[in-house]
Amino acid sequence: MMRKLLYFHKKNVLTLFLVLVFILSLFSVNWGPELLHAGGLNALQEMVAALFHPDLSPYILQLALIASVRTLAYAVTGMSIAVLIALIFGVLASGLLSSGRWNRLLSMSGFRGLLGFMRAIHELVWAWLFVVAFGLTPYAAIFAIAIHYGGILGRIFADMLNDVPPEPIQALKASGASRFQLLLYGYFPAAAADILSYVMYRFECAIRSSAIMSFVGLGGLGYQIHLSLTDLKYDQVWTFLLFLIALVVLVDLWSQFLRKRMVA
Amino acid sequence: MTQNHTKRPPIRQFGFVKFSFFLSLGLILFSWVFVIKVDGADLFALFSEKNLHSAIGFLKNMFGVGVENPAFTDAESWQNALYLTFKTLEMSIMAIGFAAIGMLFTVVPAARNAADGSLTLSRNWYGRLVFLIVRGIYVFTRAIPELIWAMMIIFIFQPGILPGAIALALHNFGILGKLCAEVIEDLDTRPIRGLASSGASKAQMLIYGVIPTVLPRFITYILYRWEVIIRTTIVVGFVGAGGLGRQFKLSMSFFHYTEITLFLICYIGLVVVADLVSAGLRKGAE
Repeated sequence: MMRKLLYFHKKNVLTLFLVLVFILSLFSVNWGPELLHAGGLNALQEMVAALFHPDLSPYILQLALIASVRTLAYAVTGMSIAVLIALIFGVLASGLLSSGRWNRLLSMSGFRGLLGFMRAIHELVWAWLFVVAFGLTPYAAIFAIAIHYGGILGRIFADMLNDVPPEPIQALKASGASRFQLLLYGYFPAAAADILSYVMYRFECAIRSSAIMSFVGLGGLGYQIHLSLTDLKYDQVWTFLLFLIALVVLVDLWSQFLRKRMVA
Repeated sequence: MTQNHTKRPPIRQFGFVKFSFFLSLGLILFSWVFVIKVDGADLFALFSEKNLHSAIGFLKNMFGVGVENPAFTDAESWQNALYLTFKTLEMSIMAIGFAAIGMLFTVVPAARNAADGSLTLSRNWYGRLVFLIVRGIYVFTRAIPELIWAMMIIFIFQPGILPGAIALALHNFGILGKLCAEVIEDLDTRPIRGLASSGASKAQMLIYGVIPTVLPRFITYILYRWEVIIRTTIVVGFVGAGGLGRQFKLSMSFFHYTEITLFLICYIGLVVVADLVSAGLRKGAE
């Protein structure tokens, strides 16, 4: 009883603490009318009004369609490399291929650290560093997505491989399978559904990431949105945003259907 | 997977999984062709002598080779960078706070079982409508990336950490809403039905039935999204939303590459510390 009370207490203290931290953070802003631009409320009104009248002229629609294809292409190419990176690094980070305790520990900590570094830096920062180093090329966006998402996926793959139930693996081991065979016939088939649904979820995120690559000067939906925003053409902005939303929703629906089929 | 094909409708013979597989292959092929042919991306030109030279120069500058007084050995720069890191932290906390408040106010009607009345044993005509509207808002806010929200919000607010926090909050509001609505949908409904059948009001059911069970999961998700927000704060800063990102952009424009290194050190430090804190707190929540 006492223990239960303490447990309950601890949870409430945590909630209270989080609320308190949030309230403290509010003091960092000087609240007042000078937070807004002089024409800020007008701009807000125009934006909301434009949402209900997006620019649907054929020229803009055509632009939006091409931009959507470009955004999708960067996301897909980036993700295809990311999955390759994640499969290789994920297996190494799971320590399943290395023999001996120290080898395993070294491989696990080394590659987990590397994956952590890859995903700690936001994809847009990666893209920017690539653009500064290599100039403006689509590969800046593709490699940025590949590295950041490779880091995310690799860590999750490693976790999923480590969480595979041990019984079937032991059965394989008893029948004399090598480490590589264990991986191919034991670990991967067991984790495949989880891995796939996670990749689909991250693919949806990659589309959003690819859309914002325009910020470093690369084409796609974000680039068009940026141009329309600087022209204060909010109605065009919403058209492009609706295309982006449609793209994301389509991928989301696809992954939902796929997950249902995989689980069933 | 059953082997009994006769029982299945003919359309499933091809199989959605197989269809998805070929669709993904097609997409990958199409995308690479598009990138290489239409956008003219040349992998080998990337490693031309000129590019390699500039890349090595950039790296040298970043590590302060031959730079007088690099920023990461300068006490004043460190002080400034740490102050910005603190501002960034404040922005992230504000953002997750706004997102969580928005989510808490909308999440109950957004749960399918609350909307169709199976949770509370009472159904009303507007439940379904409110469900669709709230879920629609979730999809809408979630599909637009933080950076684009920030680009738009900067037209309304003066540059500072508040517009950044609002942009981050809007995107994460949609994500938190979806995740937390699913928590309510997965709830064990028996205790709540018990409350309902013993005559509890809607508010009582919420306070005694729903909140105690879902709160730990909610806090887990909120902390998880906070980690993600920390990583994204730098990006909304790029468009003028304050914090580390804004200075990062300025240093890039002035070619002060040693400052970039300093900001990246602070940024990675912040991300790592936030991950550790969040992991610790999440253990406390479970």
